[in-house]
Formats: sequence, structure tokens, C-alpha cells
Amino acid sequence: MPAARRVALAWLEREQVFKWLPFVPVQALLVFLLLPFVLLVYLSLVSWRITRGVWWHAPFVGAANFTVAVRDERFVWAVIRTFGFAAAAVPLELGLGFGLALLCRERFRGRRFYTTVFLLPMMIVPAVVGYDLSMLLIDQGPLNQILSLLAGRPVTVRWISDYRMAKAAIVGADVWQWTSLVFLIVLSGFAGLPPDPIRAARAMGASRWQIFRHIELPLLKPVLAIALVLRSMEALKIFDYPVLLTEGGPGNSTETIAVYLWRVGWDFTRVSDAAAMSLILMVVVVMYTVIAIHILRRERRQLAEEAAR
Amino acid sequence: MAGIRLAGLTKAFGASRAVDGVSLDIPDGEFVVLVGPSGCGKTTTLNMIAGLEAPTAGDVYIGGERVTDQEPRDRQLGMVFQSLALFPHMSVFDNIAFPLRIRKTPPAEVRARVEAVAETVRVALLLGKRPATLSGGEAQRVALARTIVMRPRAFLMDEPLSSLDARLRVEMRTELKRLHAALRATFVYVTHDQAEAMTMADRIVVMQCGVIQQVGPPLAVYADPVNHFVAGFFGVPPMNFVDGALAADAGRLAFRAAGVTIVLDRPAEAVTARDAVLGVRPEHVRLRDGTGGWPATVGLLEPLGDETIVFLDYGGPTSIVAKVDPDEKIAVGDHRRFMFDRGKLLFFDGTTGERILR
Amino acid sequence: MKRRWLVAFVRHAALLAWTAVTLIPVYWMLNTSFKHSGEWVTWPPHWVPEQPTLENYAQVLTPGSTIFDLGRQTLKVLKPLWDSLFTATASALVAVALGSALAYSWARFGTGGKNYPYSVLTIRMLPPIVIAVPFLVYYVSLHLLDTYTGLILVYIATSLPYVIWMMLAFIEDVPRELESAARVMGASRFRVLSSVVLPLTVSGLVATFLFVFILNWSELLLALTLTNTQVSTIPITLNKFQSVNEGRDYGPQAAIGAIATLPVVALGFLIQKHLVKGFSFGLLRK
Repeated sequence: MPAARRVALAWLEREQVFKWLPFVPVQALLVFLLLPFVLLVYLSLVSWRITRGVWWHAPFVGAANFTVAVRDERFVWAVIRTFGFAAAAVPLELGLGFGLALLCRERFRGRRFYTTVFLLPMMIVPAVVGYDLSMLLIDQGPLNQILSLLAGRPVTVRWISDYRMAKAAIVGADVWQWTSLVFLIVLSGFAGLPPDPIRAARAMGASRWQIFRHIELPLLKPVLAIALVLRSMEALKIFDYPVLLTEGGPGNSTETIAVYLWRVGWDFTRVSDAAAMSLILMVVVVMYTVIAIHILRRERRQLAEEAAR
Repeated sequence: MAGIRLAGLTKAFGASRAVDGVSLDIPDGEFVVLVGPSGCGKTTTLNMIAGLEAPTAGDVYIGGERVTDQEPRDRQLGMVFQSLALFPHMSVFDNIAFPLRIRKTPPAEVRARVEAVAETVRVALLLGKRPATLSGGEAQRVALARTIVMRPRAFLMDEPLSSLDARLRVEMRTELKRLHAALRATFVYVTHDQAEAMTMADRIVVMQCGVIQQVGPPLAVYADPVNHFVAGFFGVPPMNFVDGALAADAGRLAFRAAGVTIVLDRPAEAVTARDAVLGVRPEHVRLRDGTGGWPATVGLLEPLGDETIVFLDYGGPTSIVAKVDPDEKIAVGDHRRFMFDRGKLLFFDGTTGERILR
Repeated sequence: MKRRWLVAFVRHAALLAWTAVTLIPVYWMLNTSFKHSGEWVTWPPHWVPEQPTLENYAQVLTPGSTIFDLGRQTLKVLKPLWDSLFTATASALVAVALGSALAYSWARFGTGGKNYPYSVLTIRMLPPIVIAVPFLVYYVSLHLLDTYTGLILVYIATSLPYVIWMMLAFIEDVPRELESAARVMGASRFRVLSSVVLPLTVSGLVATFLFVFILNWSELLLALTLTNTQVSTIPITLNKFQSVNEGRDYGPQAAIGAIATLPVVALGFLIQKHLVKGFSFGLLRK
């Protein structure tokens, strides 16, 4: 009935209804996917292994899993290691990405070529990157060959089998792939710099360096903030490289949180322990998230204020 | 065509009121200008008439019909925005045709009406172009065409000329007035420019802080302002204000201020003694030689060609501004005497700003 | 000016160095994909295959499923290719549709509160491993394990934060007065979306779609948790093979790598320009 349809449409159009329309399916989806969290908390409070019967009959053990988790050296090390990787990789990515963007900001011959190439790595499937690098980094492999050529003498770095170099390999994989993203973000930051303050400074006789340090750098702060937040957010989650490049080894030297939890849950089937560790991890992530969001909001607010002036 | 009536229209944002109890009766075919400083509520009022914002209280009537709860698209109004809001991804033709196509008008009729309107506003040659390629004046006219083609009941305009340069603005003002005469439609026009208001309006509605200060034809608002704010808003250069006091002086009412004393032709009981502000327009300040009036020194001169603006330092806190004939021989530093046209003195209460002694 | 020449030299030297760093792994993968098994691991490494062959591609692209037999594994990519394509596309489409609508609603009406985009971002900050465990149990009970639907639902949720943030930037660029004008001219709110907002944000929508597509196409951990045999995306296939295979099948794996990567890279180039804007997170000026 056209009349009823018109009435229905008119009702949907009212601002109060219209604005909630997309929220309904989204919130439904999020709630649907939130229920496992309840399950997570439950699992952390009981003692259950996948092999031991059904989960709803598992015995309640309270905080026992948490104490076990906190005392689990391997867990603690995995956490420290993961933060270590992020602490090593992210600054490198920021620095390199920034430097590359700086070199590419003006027009010059070949600029398009370089920009195109530099954006390549971030679009490659990380699993493929992990696997690809594992081919390159074998003891008698291409990378060592190149290093030998550069050093002038045979170089055999045991990238994958030495526990220190393996860590470097993981960091290297992350940097290789994601410098590309920082490059993109900073490049767009440069493109978005307002020309007037820079022109004014030039007219006042400031040198290139002074303009860069006193005008452009502060204006790029929000850009770097985004890159920092984005990359550290993702760096703490790394899973693909350790799994495909080094399989967490040698030993446990490249076992990140994600990898360890995976093992606890799957290989060892200690689901409850994994749940407890996950919750602890979540607390850490929440703290981190609050800081990151605070940074983003502050930058966004500052920018809104400046734009209003 | 329809008249518009606003009844107690109010828009509150939390504790503050952008529009407070605005009531107005606009007869069909009138060109009404809402004028006032930024933030006075004129745009919000216009948005409420259009239905883009919902009032917190009060009603809007179009053609006698209560439309307060109606969606904008049902109100049959044409609206021109400050930014013109031409759709950048459509050609001029498609922009003008948009309101017709929404109503599923058959293509042949769409073509006919769009071309007719394009002729009227002289954009017929631009129909294939994109808005980005148009000049300020051309874009202006396309925006107008887009509203005219709808055959709306009334036209709403939100500072449509403010993005144009001065000369174009003057041209467009005339064009709009001609359009109004030809269409004989109700125009509700919002601006912060008092000159625009004066030249275009049948009636002016002066607003400040969400409240209507005065409603009337331009000359009435100019010559007979209802308070200090309205008086100071219109006229270039603005009205001269002298702070002083009204008090009794030998049975008569007198105004005293630094450097200026006037005994008025009114009994002392006309008003209670109080602080008051004297207002007098530059064109009503006369320069005298010899005796009479008060002494002053010429501080600054602005020769405009058709008149000269003279700033007189008379001992008060600010200068008195006068308009004199361009042929008058006068130079900075001259000592002259000045007087006010008696019949053109306006007095405002020193505390409330209300006009007294009318 | 000699100084200019020096600057240009240094600049090109640095850029070329990074270009080499970037391209060598990519080249090596392509290189290996055309080698037969004898050439995979040699010393000195063969930078150009001495006996180039298409057998890796032939093996990988012919229909059949990956066989894990003792001693001989045969890697197949057609099904993984389809699985990845289907899940990535479906989740990207839904995520973009819902996310853009959400972004619009928040941008114009502030629905959800002024912090909504930030709180939505927390979804993304959560390491997937945290939810992997309970999700397994959850999906088993719901019979969603190892199904397309199950994986797609999760991908939609994890993509939404990015969609919302990217589309916010594009939507905020559409002047509100355009929408007001359309409404006064008779358009319903839905019509305003289709006639005004949509055409003006098309590039953003496409870029966001492709970006989310790439994200989900590359995703490993959640796929590993929630699917296995019925649904087996490319990253999983690579991983499965890796963990089972002692003597590594470099050739076919490189072929899969190439096949999995090249289309995505091509897409990436298309959206390069728009990625810049979408990644502004509302912080960059125009």
C-alpha cells in the first residue's frame, strides 16, 4: 500500500529515527561479538582444557589462573619481548618514514617512481612477507650474499637460527613493511601544510632549516601522532612474522604475546590459562588505549581550535 | 504565494537562547529583511522557517497553515544560502533541474522550465558548465534560478551577497529588487549589512541577541529608532552619541554633558532626572561661524567627493562627526563652532538604552 | 650551483638505497616462483633462474585441494584464492556500507556521543589473540566455526573502526549547506544521501573499500582461529604449509605469494591518492 509506505518512510526520516538507523545493525553486531568476552571472563575463572569435557561443567578456581599466569615466566617474557619489538620497530619506522617523506616532498625527476615503489610493501600480505623473508634470510641465502659483497668478505649472519639475530629479523620485517605506511601518512602531512605561514617566514628571512624546525615540524605534530598511535597499536599485535619467519624461535626468542597465547590455547590446550593471560593483556592494552586516544583527541581538538581562528 | 507568520519562535541551546520569542507577521509579497550583528539569531530564525532547525517553542505559519512540524521539503520554499550551495558534481542545468526531478517532473517539462528560468536570470548560455567554472555573479544567478524554477511560496535568503565584491553586490541588489517586483513573492532576506537592509527592504526587522528590537520601513527605523542599539546600527558614519544627564533647569528639561549643554523645549516634569545619551546623526550636525553653538577643533577630515566627513574635537571623550558640503573650506586644526538640528535630537535612557522623550 | 648537485646526489643515493631494500624481497619472491626445485636453495643464490619454469604456477593453479601426504605436499591455491576473495569482498562491502552510514550519522547528528569514533577504535586496538580463545568456543556452540558467515562477521567488526575514521574525513568535506539546500528543494534525507553525499564521497568510498579489502585479504590470526578446512584463506594456506613442511616447498609457495600479492598491489596503486586523505583521521588540513 503506497500510503502506508509513505507513512513509514516519513517516520524513518525524522531526525530522531534516521540518525539511529545505522547504529542498530552495528550495535547488534558488536553485542553479538561481545558475548565471547563474557565467556572469556568465565573461562579465566574456571579450570578447563579443551580435552577435559564440556566447558560449562568446568570447576571454578577463582583467581588461581591469574596467579599462575603472572608467575609464568614465559608469559612475562613474551610481554616484555613484544613491547621490546614495538619499541625497536616503531621509532625506526617513524624515523625512516619521515626521512623518506622529507626527501620526496618536492617535485623532482623520478619522484613518482620512488613514491610508487615506497608504497609497495604495506600492501603485501604480511604472511607472504614473513615467508618471503624466511627465504631471503637463510644462512646460505641472498641477504648474506649481499652483505658479503658489501663487506668485502664472507658474511654469514644466522638470521633465523641465532636467537639475537632472529629478533632483529622480526623487527626488520615489521620495519620493512610498515615504514611504507608512515611514509604515506607523513607525505600527506607535508602536502597538507598551509603555505601562508611558510611564505611569511621566508619573507622575514628565515633559512630553510629554521622554517623546518620552527614552523613545519610543529605543524606536523598531529601527523606524527597519528602515525605513532597507528603503528604502535598494530605493532603490539604482531603475529604473522614470528609465525612464518621464525616460528617463535629459535627457542622462544621471538615468541610474542600473540604467539605464546596461541600456543597456550592451541598447542597446550590450556584454555583457561590462555583466558587469564588474555585478560591481563587486555588490561595492559586498555591502559595503552587510553593514552593513545588522549593523544588523538588532543591533537584533533587543537586543530579544530586553530581552524576556527 | 503566501505570507509567513512567526509566533513566539524560540530556539534554545541548553541555557542560552539563540532566538527568544520572535513573533512576526509577514504579509504575502513583502520584502522583509532580518538584520543584526553576527549571532543575533537571524540565520537561526530563517532556518526555523525553512524547517532545517526545529524550534524549542513557538510556531511557523506559511499561508495560514501551521508548518512547524513539517519537513523542509514539504514547505515549498526557495532558499539561497550564503555559500550558494551549488552542487559541484552537477552541471548548471542539472542544478536548476534538481528540484523538478525530485518531484518526478517529466523530462520535457523539466527542460522547458529550466530553460525559461535560465533566460529570466540570464544564465542560458551557462547551462552546460560546472559550478566551479562560474564567476561570482553567475553562480549567484544560478542559485537564484534554482529557487525560482520551483515556483515556491516564498523565498528565503541567507546573506546571499556577502561573498561578492562591492560592485557586484550593488548590481545584484538591484537585480533582486527587480526580481521581487516581477514575481511579487514574499522575500525573507537575512543580512548583517545595514546598507543592504536599507536599500532592499519593504520592512526591516532588527534583531539582537535573539530578540526583535524594532520592525518598520527603512526610513522609520532610520529616523525613529526605538533604542540605542538600533540607532547606532544604521547610518554611515554611525550616529553620534554623547553621554550625559537630563535634569531640571529652571522649569525646563536640560541635557548636560562635557562641552555640550542643551536646554530643551520641554517641561522639567516630562521625564525623571536620569543619565541619558544624546544621539544625533552626522548629517544633522551644522558648522557655524561666529556665535552660537559650541567650540571645537577639526581633528580629522575624510573627503569622499560628494560630501566631507569632519571629526570635531569639542572637549568630550570622543569626537563629534559631521557631514559637510564638499565645497566647504575647512582644514585640520581649524577652530569652528557647531550646532545640532533641534528637531533631530534623539535621547536614550542611560541605563536601558530605551528611547525617551519621543 | 654545486650545492644543488650535491643535494640531488645525496637524495637519489638515499632513495635508491631504500628502493633496493624495498624491491629485493619482492623480486626474490617472483624470482623463486619461476624456479624449479633444484634451484631454490643454491649457493651462490641464483638471481635469475637458469632454467625458468612455470611448473610452480601450474601446480598451484590447477584445481584440487592441498594434499598433505607423507613426503609429498601439493599446494593448491584456487580454493584459497576464492575463499580469500569472497570473505574479503563480502566483509569489506558490508563494513563500508554500515561504517559510512555510521560515520555520516555521527558527523551530522553526533549520534553515539562525541567519543564514539574513539571508543570504536578500541575494537581495533585489541589484539585478536585475546578474543581468539573464547571465540572458538563461542562459534562452536553457534555452529559458526569454519564457515564463511562466521569469519565475515568478525571481519566486519574489525574493519568498522577504520571505515568510520576514513569516511569521517570524506564526509566532513561535504559542506552541510549542500544538504540543507537539497532538503529545502524537496529531497528526503535518503535522497540527500544518494544525490548529494554519495556522489561527492565516491572516491572515499572506493578507497576505503579497497583498503579494508586489503586488510581482510591479509588477515591471518582470526582466520587461523575460526576456520580451517571448509574455509581456508590464502594466509592460512601459507601457514599450514609452512608448519607441516620440513623441506620447504619454496617454489609453489613463492608462486602463491605472487598470485596473492600482485592483484592487491595493483588495487593499492589505484587508491594511493585517496589513502592519503582517508588516513588523515580528521587531523590533516586540506
